[in-house]
Amino acid sequence: MPGLAPLEIRQQFPLFFHHPELAYLDNAATTQKPRMVVEALTAFYEKQNANIHRGIYGLSARATQQYEQVRAKIAEWLGAAGPGNIVFTSGTTAGINLVARSFLEPRLHAGDEVLITAMEHHANLIPWQMACRRKGAKLCVIPMSRAGELDMGAFREMLSGRVKMLAVTQVSNTLGTINPVEEMIGLAQRKGIPVLVDGAQSAAHFAVNVGAWGVDFFAFSGHKLYGPTGIGILYGKEEHLYAMEPANFGGDMVRNVTFEETTFAPPPQRFEAGTTHIAGVIGLGSAVDFIRQLDTPAVQAHLKELGQYARALLAEIPGLHFVGEAHQSSAIVSFVLDKAHPHDVATFLSAENIAVRAGHHCTQPIMDFFGIPGTTRASFAIYNSREEVERLAAQLREIQKFFA
Amino acid sequence: MNEKLKQLYQSVILEHNNRPVRYEKNEGSTFALDAYNPLCGDRFQLYFGLEEGKIKGLSFHGYGCAISKASTSILVKHLEGQPIQKALELCRAFGAVVRPEAPAVEGAEEDFEAFAAAREFPQRLKCATLSWEEMERFLEAETSG
Repeated sequence: MPGLAPLEIRQQFPLFFHHPELAYLDNAATTQKPRMVVEALTAFYEKQNANIHRGIYGLSARATQQYEQVRAKIAEWLGAAGPGNIVFTSGTTAGINLVARSFLEPRLHAGDEVLITAMEHHANLIPWQMACRRKGAKLCVIPMSRAGELDMGAFREMLSGRVKMLAVTQVSNTLGTINPVEEMIGLAQRKGIPVLVDGAQSAAHFAVNVGAWGVDFFAFSGHKLYGPTGIGILYGKEEHLYAMEPANFGGDMVRNVTFEETTFAPPPQRFEAGTTHIAGVIGLGSAVDFIRQLDTPAVQAHLKELGQYARALLAEIPGLHFVGEAHQSSAIVSFVLDKAHPHDVATFLSAENIAVRAGHHCTQPIMDFFGIPGTTRASFAIYNSREEVERLAAQLREIQKFFA
Repeated sequence: MNEKLKQLYQSVILEHNNRPVRYEKNEGSTFALDAYNPLCGDRFQLYFGLEEGKIKGLSFHGYGCAISKASTSILVKHLEGQPIQKALELCRAFGAVVRPEAPAVEGAEEDFEAFAAAREFPQRLKCATLSWEEMERFLEAETSG
């Protein structure tokens, strides 16, 4: 028996009281928020609000303490050496942009190469593309199969002395593919190539251990792991963070300022200019508490089972084709119907209280690869149930018939 | 399945989606408008010429959802052969039917009315207006130039 009771977990999410019939299957876009996270945000604004790192008075000191405690908690959760490795950002996108700008660009030269994969989200593609363009370097793309699995042989051959960075997503937001990031980190680092892993789709449900992996950078967002929007984490190795100049300048990130010159605070503060999303940090801390109190193996078993159940039921629908059929895949299921466009499918599902995503999912190169304009995507989280999968399959059957 | 939605699709949209009017490429046409919604990827080309101030040889090709394809098909059906000013009026009339904030128009074309139901699905409004807005911009530029 799986140890997770999705209906009980669902009780902890206030949104479902307001939308009791909703089958929310768009968790790869953002997850819903448990009551404890919403209450942590409210409690901060109601009882503890003050700016951090500045005030001498009690409230400010306590806010600062809470903020820094979350940093320490996240460092421990990720397996980082210490809180100094944890930079608060606005999300995965901001983290990747910071690394591309402040870490890669200064060491990138004409003729160098940057490796990404064929299944990256635009956020893990464009920052590298722009860095390459500015420096006359080349963006090289590790190919994938029709099933949506990386060509590891090609990857090994691409690891030349010209490569200055590897950026890879742990889980594809469109295909659901789980990439062998630990193996890739090892192969790249043996050649001295630093690696960034995009953890947007993996941080919530996968066991992440940046220390054990030895990864150089790991970026993710709070809102995809039951936390608030507008807050995220960039993990970086200490020597890298020290070598990086800040991308934003302002208050709270300096050591000494004159009209002639500024010296910056050490990391991570130097990357957190201005007043940050303090309440978001507190809420993210609560989201991490929420995740840690769950039985992780049971969560993983539940999601694996839901994903497999969805694939099994959907496979029986005539005219439905999966986009992404990797052996190792997460609870993200993308598909197209012969007769109905993804947006029409999503509209019909929405009318039956089933929320899915339709479109290119910010991965246009994947759409080009498969020669399709978009897919319909169902993505699952801990509060989803087999019954919701059955509702989805039944409606898809009807839709396919209606458009046929 | 949702009845309102079925009605919206069944009346006109499925028919035009499955059997669109003059759905063909015409690379040699004088004008080729690119109606593109980067948010969803829907994209249609409108091919036509202007003869004695009238739209001639209008056809379309591309890819999009049933609503955007049907609305483009209806555009082609109604605008072929129309003088620029009349075509512009039709574009505005179509907009008035689908946009919730627009005043109702009397005597609008019958198959425009099918799209009035799209008002209930505001997230699909752009699908209905995609090609019409592109054509309206072109015609406005023609008349003001």
